[in-house]
Amino acid sequence: MTALTTRRFAVPTAASMRELGSAVGRACSGGDVIVLTGELGAGKTTFTQGVAQGLGIDEAVTSPTFVIARVHRHASGGHDLVHVDAYRLGSALELDDLDLEADLDTSVVVVEWGGGLAEHLSPTLLDVDIDRSDHEDDEERTVTLAARGTGWSARLGDDAAWPT
Amino acid sequence: MTTDAPVVLGIETSCDETGIGIVRGHELLANEIASSVDEHARFGGVVPEVASRAHLEAIEPALGRACATAGMRLDDVDAIAVTAGPGLVGALLVGVATAKALSVALGVPVYGVNHLASHVVVDELQHGPLPDPTVGLLVSGGHSSLLLVADDVSTITPLGQTLDDAAGEAFDKVARLLGLPFPGGPWIDRIAREGDPRAIAFPRGLSGPGDRDRYPYDFSFSGLKTAVARWVRAKEAAGEPVPVADVAASVQEAIVDVLTARLVAACVEKGVGTAVIGGGVAANSRLRTMAEERCAAAGISLRVPRPDLCTDNGAMVAALGSRLVRDGVPPSPLDFVTTSNLPVTRRSW
Repeated sequence: MTALTTRRFAVPTAASMRELGSAVGRACSGGDVIVLTGELGAGKTTFTQGVAQGLGIDEAVTSPTFVIARVHRHASGGHDLVHVDAYRLGSALELDDLDLEADLDTSVVVVEWGGGLAEHLSPTLLDVDIDRSDHEDDEERTVTLAARGTGWSARLGDDAAWPT
Repeated sequence: MTTDAPVVLGIETSCDETGIGIVRGHELLANEIASSVDEHARFGGVVPEVASRAHLEAIEPALGRACATAGMRLDDVDAIAVTAGPGLVGALLVGVATAKALSVALGVPVYGVNHLASHVVVDELQHGPLPDPTVGLLVSGGHSSLLLVADDVSTITPLGQTLDDAAGEAFDKVARLLGLPFPGGPWIDRIAREGDPRAIAFPRGLSGPGDRDRYPYDFSFSGLKTAVARWVRAKEAAGEPVPVADVAASVQEAIVDVLTARLVAACVEKGVGTAVIGGGVAANSRLRTMAEERCAAAGISLRVPRPDLCTDNGAMVAALGSRLVRDGVPPSPLDFVTTSNLPVTRRSW
């Protein structure tokens, strides 16, 4: 297995976006931070719904925009999901300030609009970039997963873990 | 205290409005609101810590103003009600700590109540007791829920909710796509009046085959947001001007169409004769008009509180507290906690 710093996917539908998110969720371990980048309507919430599915969380993942952060508990002892929308936060994200009722060491944190605000949260980070600029006429997106730190690059290198 | 018309002080601090309300039974005596929007503007957005501090600064003056407006003193109050959730935990804490302190100091009971249930019950202040049962549509920046309110407002059953974005959030995000200021709802409402609501056929979420069975009373606005983004970008890519008024009118029509269709379907299918709309989005003029038309056609009586009772406020909390006192519900234990996701089925702790 070779370590990879990036892996790119063509994602044609919302269902395949959820499937890719689910693969990321299955690859996650406690304390992981995932930073989502992509314009309004790119599919960030759909991707996060997939992450929840991959983690084995049953409850509905709705937009965290209004409350800034929402904690989704795992019903049977798996990793909780902390879903953050950093769009309205003006300065570097301090998760402590959000009064989260979650143990961040055992949770998976997904930060939408977190570019430039969330990088300090963990030494190993997964950047997820959702881009549809080349697809004016269809629903397809290009999703790039990029590892920061060794933890994710090993996981990205495992071909069996990812949709083709 | 007189249990048929108790004087209840309501405290609301779940987001960025500090609200203090006083009611006597169904009668509204005071409804004071301080907003921390200006403070958030300095930071470029709502920051939970800033909201908490702003509540702390605003709550005591607001209490004083509410008493002055009602022409009474704090020790005339029979009971205290406070929003215990859902909302921002740090913001909720300010209200709850204040309520508990007042409860101990004045020797009166305290009720930690549900924010969502308050948005429905507030209508009793304007239109009298809610008939039994009633369907409530709660639409705001943070919530989109259909609730069945039964057994004399003591049983609240969630029928459906948004699967992704709240209705008010959909308005805000579309406004952002169109380059309109925040909050987007009022701007879309205004600009839509000059546009054609049939100009663009934007998708109605959860109206595909099978969705009606699987999600009979749920909402989804994420796909609408994506469709608007695509439509606007395609126009720009073609070098054509974006007809903002037509887009605003068509988006508003799509959101309001789904909200009112689900509301009427819930009433008809559950055999309910009365509908109530609450939350900030209830101020939308097209929602009011379409809901009136569709409810009238289906023989449903529609109740919509006036705008200052629709947005977050203390009077709605007091209204629910007054209900609980009159229903003989025991007060909350003094160690009740705030919770960011108090289920709507619980009126109070």
